[in-house]
Amino acid sequence: MSKVYDLSAIVIYYQKYEYDEIKPLIESYKTNLDKTNLNYEIVFVIDGNMPEVLEEIKSIAQNNDNIKIIKLGRWFGDATSLQAGFEATEGKLIITLPSFQQVEADEIPKLVENLEGNDMVIGWRWPRIDGFLNNLQSKFFNYLIKAFIGTKFHDLKSNFRVFKREVLDNIYMYGDQDRFLPLWAWRLGYKVKEIKVKQHKTDFRQKLYPVKSYVTRGLELISLFFLIKFTKKPIRFFGSSGLIIFTLGSMIGLFLFIQRIFWDIPLADRPIVLVSILLIVFGILSFAIGLVGELIIFTHAKDIKDYIIEDVYQYPKKDDSNKKAS
Amino acid sequence: MDLSIVIPFYNEEDSIRPLYDAVTDAMSKLDYSYELILVDDSSKDNTLKNAVDLAKEDERVKVVKLKKNYGQTTGLHAGFQNAIGKYIVTMDGDLQNDPSDIGDMMEKLHEGNDICLGWRVQRQDGAFTRLLPSKIANWLVRNVTGIPVKDNGCAIRSYKAETINKFPMYSEMHRLLPVINALTGASFTQIPVKHHARQFGESKYGLSRIYKVIIDLISLKTVFSSFNKPLFGFGTIAVISGILFLLTSIGTSFVWWNNPGYPLVVLLGTSALLGILSFTLVFLGILCHLIYKSGNLKIEKMYKLKTIRK
Repeated sequence: MSKVYDLSAIVIYYQKYEYDEIKPLIESYKTNLDKTNLNYEIVFVIDGNMPEVLEEIKSIAQNNDNIKIIKLGRWFGDATSLQAGFEATEGKLIITLPSFQQVEADEIPKLVENLEGNDMVIGWRWPRIDGFLNNLQSKFFNYLIKAFIGTKFHDLKSNFRVFKREVLDNIYMYGDQDRFLPLWAWRLGYKVKEIKVKQHKTDFRQKLYPVKSYVTRGLELISLFFLIKFTKKPIRFFGSSGLIIFTLGSMIGLFLFIQRIFWDIPLADRPIVLVSILLIVFGILSFAIGLVGELIIFTHAKDIKDYIIEDVYQYPKKDDSNKKAS
Repeated sequence: MDLSIVIPFYNEEDSIRPLYDAVTDAMSKLDYSYELILVDDSSKDNTLKNAVDLAKEDERVKVVKLKKNYGQTTGLHAGFQNAIGKYIVTMDGDLQNDPSDIGDMMEKLHEGNDICLGWRVQRQDGAFTRLLPSKIANWLVRNVTGIPVKDNGCAIRSYKAETINKFPMYSEMHRLLPVINALTGASFTQIPVKHHARQFGESKYGLSRIYKVIIDLISLKTVFSSFNKPLFGFGTIAVISGILFLLTSIGTSFVWWNNPGYPLVVLLGTSALLGILSFTLVFLGILCHLIYKSGNLKIEKMYKLKTIRK
C-alpha cells in the first residue's frame, strides 16, 4: 500500500479566490506531472467550506490511488493550507500548483528539472499578459521588497513553485503569507531561482483591489521587513529609533527651557512644550519595547533555527592502526 | 575526545593550510586527543575545497559547510554544535592567533578555570582603525559589566564545553560570550598570547563594531540584571514618572485654584503624558514577567552552581 513518492503536488482551493473548472485542470496537471518521470502524488487542500469542490475532487480521487484530500474546518489562509498540505505529503520534492490556470501546465517538467543545484524554483510569469495597471502594481510591490529587504523577486504572487522538502521543514508558514515563502527561504540561505514560464492566457486580470487589501499588504510588508532584518536584535530597531526620538524631544525641551530662563518667555501657553514631552515619552516607550523584544529573543534563542549546515565533511580512516591521537 | 578546536573561515583560502600546519605542530607537543573543526561560512573562494582536502588527509579534521554567509557568531555556533570535545578552543582563521598558545590555555583550564581568554600583548594592527575602536570597546565592556576583560576582541579563547552549551548564541554574541559566562559566575582567567600581522587577505572588521558592542551590552546587561528586579527594571522608571505625574497634577490643581483663567492645556497635557508613561511601563513590566515565565531559558538556571558537599 504505502509507496514512496518522489514528488508531491499540493493544490490549494481557497474559499476566497476564484478557481477554474476542476477536472480539465487536474487532467492537464496530471499529464504534465507524468512527463517528469517521477513517482508523484497529489494532495488537495480545501481551505474552508466548498462542498461542490470537495465532491468533484472526491470523484477524481476514486479513480486514482495517489490522491489525498485535506479539508480545513474553516478558512485559514493560504500559508496555513500549505502547511497542512505539506504535513500530509510524503514526497522528497514538493510542487505547489494553483487552483486556476495561472501558468501553462506544460511548464511543469521544466520547473522540476531546474531544481538541480537549487533548493527552490519559482515560475516567473513572463511576458506578463496582465493589464497595464496590474503590472504596475506588482512592479511597485516587488520594488518595495527590493528596497526594504534587499533582494529581488519578480513574481512573488506566482503559486507555481517547486522546492525540496527540507525548505518547509525549516520554515514555519502561517496565516495568509504564502507569497513570502521565497523570501524566507532566501533569508535562511536556500538557493532560490526564478525561471521564466509562459503565463496562461486566461490568467488575465485588470482590476484594482479594494483599499483594504492594499493596506493589509503594506502592513504585512512592514512586519516582514522587521522580521527579516531585526529578528535577533529587536533593540537595534526599537532602541535606535527610541533614542533618536528621545534626543529630539529633549533638545526641544532644552531649547524651551533656555528660552524660559534667559528670555523669560512663558511656557504655559505654548503647545510645543507638549510636543517635546510627547517625543520624550514616545522615545522611552520605544526603547522599552525594544528591551521587551530582547527578552523574548533571549528566552527563546535556543529554539530559533536560523541557519543551515549544508554539509559536514569528515573522512574517518579505514584502518585503526593509523590513529595518531591518544 | 579532550579538545575541539573550532575555527570559522570566510574567504581565507590561503590561510587554511598554514593554520592547519601550525595547529598540528602545536598539538603534537601536547598530549591531548583533539579534533579540528573548520567552519566554512560559505566563502566565495576556494576555502571549502582546501578545507575538504585537509579533511581527506587527516581524520581529525571535520569541515562544516554553512548554507550561506551568516557571520562569525553563527559559524562558531555551528562549530560548537558539531564539537564533541570536553574542552573547546576557538580561534580566528586569519593566522593572527598562534596555536602554540593552546597548551598554556589548556593548562589554565586544568587548574580549574571555566574560561581562559587570550590577551594580545603586542598587537600587530593599524593603530587608528583597529586599536582605538578595540580600546574603547574593551573599556565599555569592563565598565558596563564590571568584568575585568583586558581584550574582548581576541579570538583565541578556551572554554569548558559545558560552560558554552548553556548559553544562547545569536546576533554578534560570540564577542561577549566569555563576558556572559563570567556574569553567571563562571571563573575566568586571561593569559598574554602572541599576535601576528595579517598575511593574507583583508581584515573584515572596522569601526562600526563599537555601536554594536554598545547595543549588545545594553540589552545583555538589562536581561541579566533585571530578571530579579521589580517589573524587570521598568518598575523604577515607572515609579519616577508616576511621582512626576502626581507632582504635575497637584501643581496644575494649585494653579487652577489660585489663578482662574490661566492657560492649563500645557500643564494638563504634561501631567497626562507622564501618567500614561508610568502606566504603560508597568504594563510592559508585567508583560516581561509573562514572557519570562513562558520562555524556556531561565537566567537563574544558567548561574554556575558549585556543589560544595554532596
